[in-house]
Parts: sequence; structure tokens; C-alpha cells
Amino acid sequence: MSRQAHGLRAWLLQRFTAAYIALYILVTGVWFLWQPLHSHAQWQAWLAAPLPNLATALFIVTLLIHAWVGVRDVIMDYVRHTGVRVSLMALVALVLGGTGLWSLRVVFSVVGQ
Amino acid sequence: MRFSIYRYNPDTDGKPWMQDFDLPESEVRPGMMLLDALLLLKAQDDTLSFRRSCQEGVCGSDAMNINGRNGLACITPLKELRQPVTLRPLPGMPVVRDLIVDLEPFYQQYRAARPWLINEDPEPEVERLQSPAERERLDGLYECILCACCSTSCPSFWWNPDKFLGPAALLQSWRFLADSRDQATDERLDALDGPFKLFRCHTIMNCVEVCPKGLNPTRAIGHIKELMLKRSL
Repeated sequence: MSRQAHGLRAWLLQRFTAAYIALYILVTGVWFLWQPLHSHAQWQAWLAAPLPNLATALFIVTLLIHAWVGVRDVIMDYVRHTGVRVSLMALVALVLGGTGLWSLRVVFSVVGQ
Repeated sequence: MRFSIYRYNPDTDGKPWMQDFDLPESEVRPGMMLLDALLLLKAQDDTLSFRRSCQEGVCGSDAMNINGRNGLACITPLKELRQPVTLRPLPGMPVVRDLIVDLEPFYQQYRAARPWLINEDPEPEVERLQSPAERERLDGLYECILCACCSTSCPSFWWNPDKFLGPAALLQSWRFLADSRDQATDERLDALDGPFKLFRCHTIMNCVEVCPKGLNPTRAIGHIKELMLKRSL
């Protein structure tokens, strides 16, 4: 493919991540209704199992990508000044990136405990 | 009937203002359209300015914001309007005078869509033929009258009229992408690439809501995205 599909790529990413986010919320929602967790230890045990751990890590990544595309869209729509736009995007990237790293650290820290 | 109409003459007014008009009930006839009322109001005050031409919803000249919704005055029944009928120029466009706007930003984007057939084959002696099915694909696309009701009701077009093509121009993009006789699919898709020209559409669908011809630019934009995706795989 010859074209640089920047618009198309963001649009597709938003849709694919939305599908995974919806699936994760639905599956975990039903799961917790069926088998409620009542204590911190139970939560840790649930999250330490490989499948929930990987699924949750993937959920965090997709959520951050989805948020990035959405917030980037809002900034592109409303902020006309290039300097302000780039600064805002950098700030959002920093906050989302930091949040992501911290969340993933929490999720992976329960493995093997 | 009471009217509140946006007035602005850049030569004499410091800023826009709303003028109240009153149309006696004796002058309101059954089946009267808003444009008929505007013509009567202009008889009261001949400085009131608006565009109109065919008076039957074909030329698209008298597009304006009617009680907060874009539409054509000539096909808007007067009786259905809440009073006072508030009339403003199409939103987001520079005002030339009163209800007349400068549509140049709109036409610029229309030109950017290259709304003509691109076919490098030698010109045939008769017309370039299409099957009935191929012709049918153009239904709902070619009927656009370029009144600008859709693009000027689109928030994405308000914010980026210089970068986002807007629903009217994108409807025409799809009209030629969908045309079996057109050979410039790749060039057209390349021209629409990037985050602004096509992808500022967030499926708000104000365009579909206001189109006086009942067309669906949002669906056309969806088809362009689909085609772009197919071509990129």
C-alpha cells in the first residue's frame, strides 16, 4: 500500500480497541456477577492467574490507545495553534504513558506472589 | 406572525443584531412557505437581504438557519414553525450581509473533491455506458444541490473548514469513487488521506438530519472509509 494511512490507522485502532474494551468489560462483568470477589487476597489470586493477568494487561494497553486516539481527536478539532496543540498532545501522551506503565506494573506485580 | 431576523451590514453595523418583524395574519395564506413570508417582510423593509432563486428547493440559494436548524426557506412550511421564527445565516461562514454568507470556504472544499469524471480512455463516439446496477450506485449521491446546509451544520466543519472537506464535498468524493466510469480511485483516496480531510468526521450526523434532499453524507463517508480499508489490505 502506497499511502500513509495516518487517518485510517487511527480510525481502525479506535474501533479495534473499542471492540476489545467492550468484550473485556462484558466478560469480566459477567464473570464477577457469577463468582463475586470479596477480599483483596481473592482479587490478587484472580489477577495472578495467567489468562486474567494477560487479558487485563491487554485491556490497559487498548484502553490507553483508545484514550489517546480520542483525546488526540478532540485536541485536533479544537486547538488551532500548532505550538499549543503539540504541547497538549505531549502532555496527554506523558500522562497516559505514565498511567499505563504504573498500571501494568501493578498488574504484573501480583504474578508469582 | 412574529419573526426575529439576524441583521448585519458590515459597512454600517459595528456588530450583528436581531430585528423583530411582524407579519399580519391576514397576509398569511394556507400552504405558505417561509420564503414567501420573507418576500413579504422585505416589502416592509427593503434593506433585508437574503438569496433566493428557483423557489422550489432545487437551486439551494435560500439555505439559512431556521429556528436553530439549517434548511431551505422555500420548502419550509410557515405553519410548522415555532414563533418567533428566528432566522440566522448558515453557521460558521463569513457573513456578507444579513442572511447572505460567503460560501467560498465551502466551494474550496467542493473543488478539492475533484467533482468530475476522471477517465483517461479515448473518448467514445457515444456516451460511456453503465449497467443499470452501476447507475443505481449513484442514486442518493448525484442529487446534491450544494445548498451547504449539511457542511454548515457539521461541528467538525465549523472547527476546521480549511482542512476538513465537510459532508457535501465528501458526498461528491464518494459519488465519483462509486462511479464505474471513473479511473482515479487511488488518486482520490490518496488525496483524502491524513487525519483531517476525511477523518475529522465523527459520525455526528447533523448532515443527515438537515439535508433538504434527504441524502446521507454519513453513509457515503462510511463507504469511503471502507474502500480505503479494502485498498490498504
